[in-house]
Order: sequence, then structure tokens, then C-alpha cells
Amino acid sequence: MAHIPDGVLSWPVLASGIVTSLAGCAYGLKKLEPMAIPRTAVLSASFFVAALVHFPVGPTSVHLMLNGLIGLLLGWVAVPAIMIGLLLQALLFGFGGMIVLGVNTFNLALPALLCHGLFQLSRKSHNHKLIILTAGICGFLGVSLTAVLVALSLALSGKEFISAAQLVVFAHLPIMVIESVFTASAIALLLRVKPAALDTNWSEEPNHDDAESQNETGAQFTADSRAIESKVYVRA
Amino acid sequence: MSERKALALFILLCALFGASSAKAHKLKTFATAIGAEISGYAYFAPGGRAQNAQVLITREDGSLAAHLQTNDQGEFSYLADQRTRLTIHVDAGDGHEADTHIAAADLPSTLPLANNSSAASRPIESLKGTDSPTASSLDLQQQIETALARQLRPLREQLDAWQEQIWLHDILGGLGYIIGLAGLAYGLTNNKRSTKPNSSTKRTKA
Repeated sequence: MAHIPDGVLSWPVLASGIVTSLAGCAYGLKKLEPMAIPRTAVLSASFFVAALVHFPVGPTSVHLMLNGLIGLLLGWVAVPAIMIGLLLQALLFGFGGMIVLGVNTFNLALPALLCHGLFQLSRKSHNHKLIILTAGICGFLGVSLTAVLVALSLALSGKEFISAAQLVVFAHLPIMVIESVFTASAIALLLRVKPAALDTNWSEEPNHDDAESQNETGAQFTADSRAIESKVYVRA
Repeated sequence: MSERKALALFILLCALFGASSAKAHKLKTFATAIGAEISGYAYFAPGGRAQNAQVLITREDGSLAAHLQTNDQGEFSYLADQRTRLTIHVDAGDGHEADTHIAAADLPSTLPLANNSSAASRPIESLKGTDSPTASSLDLQQQIETALARQLRPLREQLDAWQEQIWLHDILGGLGYIIGLAGLAYGLTNNKRSTKPNSSTKRTKA
């Protein structure tokens, strides 16, 4: 769905997609800090491969998109990450067209950015349950907003909006649920294991919540290492 | 590091899963001509056939030959009335569209040529005028061509499916590109890295 082929959309839609996506990509690259590069590459690679994981739905099949998760973890840098993933999918797998790449990027990246904004708001609450819940909602929103944007770009190109939207949105209901669970569990894991990974302000100090939870894990770690040390002493 | 490990594991799983079963998620059309009858189907490259999709068949001169709809099996058929290159366009309605072509040479020579091409001379008549092949030998030739087209159809279907296969080297190639681009980005942000310690020292001084 997020891979519209060439020759479907009209020129004004294609042109505005290219302009907005390039602008977003440039801004994303400007915000790209050296610290963020490995994470960006890993998530871009995940996005590139995730489209191969298909779930059969009726006569057709849908695939994972992960744009919600990418948005949460990357912020503006998600735009170049998604664009590169889409470019490689178009070149190597034949998913989607080349001229339509701008529109496809826009359709996936805009929900990612909105999810990022929503998620950062929820992080201010310092409530882990709320943060995980928001992550689930973001996984759902990433797919559903993309579906609506795809239907909208088809409608702006002269297709019938209602029928296109029905086809696109209903076919993707199962993937919205799968993606929502996936995103929530990924964020839950990160919150427990490496809360600093949720920060997208690489240039600034980690925020209070992360520092706090890092202290918690740090305390655990020192306790563990003390236990190990004492064992070592016993052995010695 | 565990974040990286989890994601790396996920990518590996996806790659393995993808290599074994997945193909491109896009609409494809397959059609062949057996005699004058063109039959084919529209399908999603992984997944099933495209049901109730719109099929537009246009001739080489751009005129519409037929407007059909695929049935429950995603199939459609059309009886060609002219010997001209046909374009078959399938639209599933949700942004998935696909094209395929039937070459004029695949259609039987008994069909009339397209109106615009050289005074629409019927090939049978011209051949009869030169008196070499008889009507029965033409008939035989026609039968051979039809039988051959029928035999070749499964082979073409297989070739079509083969084309859609995604190979492990495609996936690994893509991952390699991403790693390369990350390296490039790391090199290009060298300035940021070298200036960053200065800015942090400034901040601490202030």
C-alpha cells in the first residue's frame, strides 16, 4: 500500500511529494548527529527488510511498515531513513516507483513525525505505562495515517477517495494491530533495558526521566557487580 | 547495546523469513494469447489473485478494445478482433496498478490487421493470391501455433513468477548499501564530531 507504483498519481501530487520529501530529508540530515548514525542505519535497515514480512489478508497480503517505531526513535532523522529504505526497496525489490518515491516518503514520514511529537509529549509524564500505551497508539497511528494519506494522494490524482480509502484502510486493520503491539513491546523493552535509546536530542544532555531510570539500572548493576566481586573474593 | 542486538536479531529473522517466502507486494498481470483468445489473471506478487479488479484492454492506436472485470479467481478473458499490439491495464483500486502487453505477432494471422496499418490487407487473401500455401496448410499452421502457445503458457507463468522472486543477494545488497551510507554519513559529519568537544567545553566553562 505504501508502495504506490509509477504512473498512478498525477503530476501535481508527484511534484509536491518530491518537494516536501526532499525538504524534510534535508532538514533530517541537518539534524543528524554522528551519535545518531548507527541507530538511523539500523532502523533504516529494519524498515527496508520489514516490508518483506507479509501477513495474508483475504485475497491480498499486507506487510509491516514500522514507520511509527522509526518516528518514535528518530524524530526528524526518520525522513532520510525512510527515504533510503524506500529507494532501496524500489531499486532491489521493485516495490513502488522511482518518480513516486517523494509521495511514498511523505506518506510514511509524516505519520512518523506526528507519532514522534505525541510520544515526546507522553514521555514528559514519566509514567512508564502511559509511555508504553502511547507507543502502541503510535504504532497504530503510523499505519492508519499512512493509509489515509495514500487514499488522499489517490483521491487528489482523480481516483474516488471513499472506495480507495475503504480498500486501503480495511485491508490494513490487522497490520495496525500487529504494528501497535510490536511498537509497544519494543518501547517497553527499551524502557527497561536502555531508556537513553528513546532520546532523540543527541546534542543535549539526557533528560531527567532517563537519568533517573539509568540510575536505577546503574544501582542494580553496581549491586550485581558487588555480588560478583564478593564471589571472586571468596574464590580467591 | 541490547537495543542493537534486538534489532539485529529482528533484521536477521526478517532476512531469513524474507529469503524463504516473501516476494514483492505489488500487483502483477499475466496474460497470453492462445489463438485469438487472450486469457490471463491479475495477482498480488505475494498473496492471492486480485478479485473484481478493473481491466482495460487498449489497442495500439489507443482505442479501447474492452473494459472487463476480473472474476473471483482474478481471471479475465477477451477475444481479440484485430491483429494489433494490445495493452492490458489492471487497476485494483487501492493504488495497485499493473500493465502487460500482447504482441501483434502472438495473435493469429487470420485476424484482420489494425485499420491504420497499410490499407488493412488481410494476410490470408494476400497469401492466397501468391498461391503457395493452401487453405489446409494454413489451418495446420494455425493449429500448430495454438498448440505451441498452450504448451508455452505454463513456462511463461513460471518465468513471470521467477522474475518476482526476491533473492537473498537483493536483501544483503540493500543492507550493504545502508551500512555504506552510514559510513559515508559518519565521514561527512566529521566536522560536527571534531567541533563538538569544543562546544561542550565552552558550555562547561560558561
